[in-house]
Amino acid sequence: MENQVGPIEVNRSIDAYLRVLTRIENGSEKLPEVFQRLGRTGRLIIFTRDENAQSEFLGMMVGYVSWPREVQLIKVSTPTVEKELAGVDPASIAGLVFCSVNPPAQLVGQRHRLGSSIVLVPVPEAAP
Amino acid sequence: MILVGLGAAILTIFAAGFGVTLSIFARTNRFNLVECACLSWLLGSGIISLLLWIGGTFCSGLVLQAVVTIACLVLAIFGWREKQKAAARSHFSTPKNLVEWVLATIVAVEAAILFFVAFKHTLGWDGLLNWEIKARYAFFNGGVIPASYYSSAGRAFSHPEYPLGIPFTELWLYLWMGEPNQFWVKIIFPLFYGACAPLLAILTARLSGKRWLGLLVASLFAFVPSVSASPGGIVVGYVDVPLGVFYLAALGYLLCWFKDNARSSLIVFAACAALLPWIKTEGVILFLVLVLLGVSLSVIKHRTTQFLVSILPGVIVLLAWRVYLKLIHVWPHSDFSPPGLGLLRHNLGRLLDIAGILLSELSEPAHWSIFWLLAAVAVVYLLASRKFEKIAVAFAVLLPIVLYSLIYLFSTWPSYTAHMTSSLPRLLLHVTPAAWLAIGLALSPPGAQTKTLEPKLG
Repeated sequence: MENQVGPIEVNRSIDAYLRVLTRIENGSEKLPEVFQRLGRTGRLIIFTRDENAQSEFLGMMVGYVSWPREVQLIKVSTPTVEKELAGVDPASIAGLVFCSVNPPAQLVGQRHRLGSSIVLVPVPEAAP
Repeated sequence: MILVGLGAAILTIFAAGFGVTLSIFARTNRFNLVECACLSWLLGSGIISLLLWIGGTFCSGLVLQAVVTIACLVLAIFGWREKQKAAARSHFSTPKNLVEWVLATIVAVEAAILFFVAFKHTLGWDGLLNWEIKARYAFFNGGVIPASYYSSAGRAFSHPEYPLGIPFTELWLYLWMGEPNQFWVKIIFPLFYGACAPLLAILTARLSGKRWLGLLVASLFAFVPSVSASPGGIVVGYVDVPLGVFYLAALGYLLCWFKDNARSSLIVFAACAALLPWIKTEGVILFLVLVLLGVSLSVIKHRTTQFLVSILPGVIVLLAWRVYLKLIHVWPHSDFSPPGLGLLRHNLGRLLDIAGILLSELSEPAHWSIFWLLAAVAVVYLLASRKFEKIAVAFAVLLPIVLYSLIYLFSTWPSYTAHMTSSLPRLLLHVTPAAWLAIGLALSPPGAQTKTLEPKLG
């Protein structure tokens, strides 16, 4: 992405992408803070849309900033993720992250929207 | 304090490289300061990243930083003492006439513009998620990539198996700045351009005997759109241009060795070629191309043993990285099946598509302008020249392009055409500086070379 020179920020690239893709300011700090609240253990399962570069890139960015938590990226080719969720063992995960993917209807009431394109569903509430 | 740290990081990289370069050129009596500075950056970044990688297996944190810093200073002092001992004198060659002054000014202005533009851009997709990510994770772990990163299946997207030449150069800046600053770290990429353009000018001038020719191709280098912009250009923090710079340097000094027989040229070739597999996996292909060309040239010179010794550092780096990956249980993820005759026969039908995409990419004006047209004319001219070093340069341009294209016969992507379209533009960047050298040599007047095919053909 091209802009003016600067701002001279530590996380210049991460923040710029998250700002454009999700409208979150200082995403490099805010997202890890949110993920830390999920507890120390358990991985994040990140759903992205197959053959959608923006969604895949966002999923990877979430994987990047959530270090050192283990992550699993799942590309979904259908608008819903019911089939993929059915195979998830809730005991080993801390949360589900949907990047430009709609979460299933049964999780709508439990979701936290992070910016315009990311939806987080903490796992105790999300057990399928 | 951040800027002081940044300055110290860059200075130590130059110090390490300068020491090694001085010790190589010490016996030549006179050496070019600009050439020395360019090689200092290339070799310095290679030395620092290798030292961080090797040192990181024994120590971490401040101890690691101190050990690497001391090693850099020791190298610098050693190089200086070698120079003093040999009484070698440096010289700074200034342009000799108006044309050279104009061209040299253009080169300097282009470099300044690229520095400026680099700071306007964010790191690109690969720049951030394949390369910088490793530097950042290592920074937060005391300068060592955490073992859990290599075993993290969820982060396979960042290719843990990729070599660490550029990520650890970035890490060195982070360690000195005290934070993983994604704004200032971009400085290393225009620095690679800043090393490449003068080196291209020097090598072209040395091989053609015409300094203005060198300055001409160096001034035209930045006009290739892909060099200065996406995809993979200088400003987005990809490693493709740096790999191209190492390839140019290795090829150039191999030809210089063929021409002048100087041991220093062969040592610089050995050092630059050794770093090719350390910058990017595709560097292995470039290394093999240089080995093939080098063996051919050394047979002509009857100095095969000397040449074979010079490729040992590259073989060691290549094997060391492979062994390391095996020890940490990372198997190189590949978008390609292992080549085999059965698969080759099965996929031969792809050849037409591959040739079509290659031609389409080479003639894409938004990426390359008329660069590949110039390069194609130059390659044909060099092949017809019947002069060993000119033919070698032509093959140094042709072979990587042919090999890079043929490898898509073994692509495992559901759509090999999509695979090729997405990655080929960046692969072609590896050959771009060498292709400019080819253009420069094609423009040089006939008769300026030393060895020709004529005596052999009788």
